[in-house]
Amino acid sequence: MTAIVPRRLQFARDRQQSRNTVCLLVFTAAIIGGLCGRAAHAQDNYEIQVYGSDTVAPKTTMLELHSNFTADGSKPLPGSKYAVDRLYPTNHAEHETVEITQGINNWSEVGFYIFTSARDGDGWQWVGDHIRPRVRVPDSWHWPLGVSLSTEFGYQRRQFSTDTWTWEIRPIVDKTIGRWYFAVNPALERSFHGQTVNQGVGFSPSAKFSFDFNKYISGGLEYYADYGSLHGFYAFHDQQQQFFPAVDLNVSPNWEINFGVGVGPTSATDHLIVKGILGRRFDWTHHRAGSSGSTQ
Amino acid sequence: MNRREFIAKSAATAALGLSFSEERKLRAQPPADVHLQIAPLKLEIAPGKHVETIAYNGQVPGPLIRWPEGKPIAIDVLNRTSIPEIVHWHGLWIPSDQDGAMEEGSPMIAPGAQQRYHFTPSPSGLRWYHTHSFAGHDLKRGLYTGQFGCFFIEPKDEAGAYDQEIFLTLHDWNAYMGAATDASMDVSYDYSTINDRMLGHGTPIQVKQGQRVLFRIVNASATVTHWLALAGHEMTVVSMDGNPVPVPSRVTALRLAPAERADVVVEMKNPGEWILGETRDDIRKAGMGIVVEYAGRQGEPKWTDPPEVLWSYRPFAHPEAATIQPDYQIPLLFESKFRGHGDFDYWTINGKSYPKTDTVMLQEGKRYRLVMRNKSADDHPIHLHRHTFEVTSLDGKPMSGLRKDVVVVTANSTAEVDFVAANPGATLFHCHQQSHMDFGFMMLFRYS
Repeated sequence: MTAIVPRRLQFARDRQQSRNTVCLLVFTAAIIGGLCGRAAHAQDNYEIQVYGSDTVAPKTTMLELHSNFTADGSKPLPGSKYAVDRLYPTNHAEHETVEITQGINNWSEVGFYIFTSARDGDGWQWVGDHIRPRVRVPDSWHWPLGVSLSTEFGYQRRQFSTDTWTWEIRPIVDKTIGRWYFAVNPALERSFHGQTVNQGVGFSPSAKFSFDFNKYISGGLEYYADYGSLHGFYAFHDQQQQFFPAVDLNVSPNWEINFGVGVGPTSATDHLIVKGILGRRFDWTHHRAGSSGSTQ
Repeated sequence: MNRREFIAKSAATAALGLSFSEERKLRAQPPADVHLQIAPLKLEIAPGKHVETIAYNGQVPGPLIRWPEGKPIAIDVLNRTSIPEIVHWHGLWIPSDQDGAMEEGSPMIAPGAQQRYHFTPSPSGLRWYHTHSFAGHDLKRGLYTGQFGCFFIEPKDEAGAYDQEIFLTLHDWNAYMGAATDASMDVSYDYSTINDRMLGHGTPIQVKQGQRVLFRIVNASATVTHWLALAGHEMTVVSMDGNPVPVPSRVTALRLAPAERADVVVEMKNPGEWILGETRDDIRKAGMGIVVEYAGRQGEPKWTDPPEVLWSYRPFAHPEAATIQPDYQIPLLFESKFRGHGDFDYWTINGKSYPKTDTVMLQEGKRYRLVMRNKSADDHPIHLHRHTFEVTSLDGKPMSGLRKDVVVVTANSTAEVDFVAANPGATLFHCHQQSHMDFGFMMLFRYS
């Protein structure tokens, strides 16, 4: 996610931590290598965010609310309350996702998601939960790019996803140059239970670039896609493709605000979505800014 | 190329052109009292852990220069690096062309060239010397390197109410532009040291029970304000920036912004093996600390967090306002200019960045009040060259008697300092954070 991190001293992590990171990266890569089968569809419009490489600081919790309204999405089939694949329609659905991310140390964090959906006639419903550990390349490695690796595992109810138990691994690369910001998330997904369990690993990349108009307002374009299985991408009209012109408001190190309107040009994509992210950072160290215990 | 780089390169070219005549002149001079050689150094800060830097005489800090007040000194500086360098004698009342800031007219020392600085050190107390070269985005130059050392000017009549005197310098190493997406880039570091070693890898400071140990501490970091505490002990601050404070006061932790100094006395009355170090865990673990060992005591050095401290200069000053009113007030507004989340900010004084900042004209003998208002979100250690000032007000509350040459104007606050224009010549005024001064936070005072 495009996390907002307070200005703070970024001191070296010790070599042991670095070794741990390498081990975790290698371990995760090994798991990927062992995978076969086909991924689930992308996580549909519950968390629409291109991740940045930074992680939440230790002793800090990030609480985010992802609010996504599908203005033009899938509609019920004639005579049914369901859309295709016996899924609840997304048209005029409001998806509210609570994301809680806890910083573990200076190079890792764990996130937890609660997905919900509200729609006329269906009421407010729990959709599912995911857990998302993440590690990043420590600053002390002095890489020219920000790099981190996120993995996400969890459940979504069958009425909301054709695949219920899914797993995702998401490499994250980003870079800030002057006023420009770039991020790429070439995510790989895998279903463990559901319609596409036999189709292997799917490719769901996302990317973002933005420009800092001033200290507080950045604007740019976000891109989200699901190309289908690595064994053979879907035909273009069956791929999910979404483009979100989006704005980030950097009003405070403790707040994260993102807003965008997305269009999906393919038939497999919801055509018009309005998304918003409101995040609040909680620092549990209780140090006063500028004190002998603060990091500022 | 900005103006500062242009001046530096011009100075270097000029210095090269003069090298023969300079050499002849140097040969004709009597031997210098102190020799400094600026050269690259691979510094071992812990076993197997090295930093590539530039230093004086192959050591960090550079050699301690201890010199009687009022006695002329000649210092030869040889530049063995490939870039023009300059040495600033921080806190001394000396002429502009000897002060070591090219903006004031001191010449740069070209690569391979030698230059003699000649002045009469004054005032007494803990001063220091350091490079005053431009670094910009090159975080392997300027004060990011190991070019600093202590310069103690012995007073004519110091009582010396201490049993042992220890000089300590604080520094941060391997600077890089830290990633932060909410605001502009900041300088971050891999390692920190007190003197030249990381915590646990240097020679412990040996003390005896009952001793009064005087620590003379310089924050030689390019950008980081440091907090120091000696576990198990309190410190009495007796001087700031080399000048005795009107009200010596005890503290559990000491804040020193870049370029600030403090003389603190510690009564050694808690035998054991203790850590004198940064109060913040991450910086202490990055190396900023040194072991204090009582005679006959050995074991694992102990650290205990001091109570959280909010720093103020006020306890060390007289609470009443200064009795002498200034002849003139100079309002100075500090602001930042955003350059993108992926770059350093630019800085302005009264809306302009150096070299476009206004030049303030001073009249010799007049008393001036700098009325500083910091509208930015960063703290600024403000330094006035070649003069000492008196802090007269912080956030509108008066005080007096505290004399310094660096004062921290904290974010969104005001501070007022008075000084007497008593040292004619170009005088530089700037924030001592290298990344601030390099990006516009400087201005010149001149005498009419």
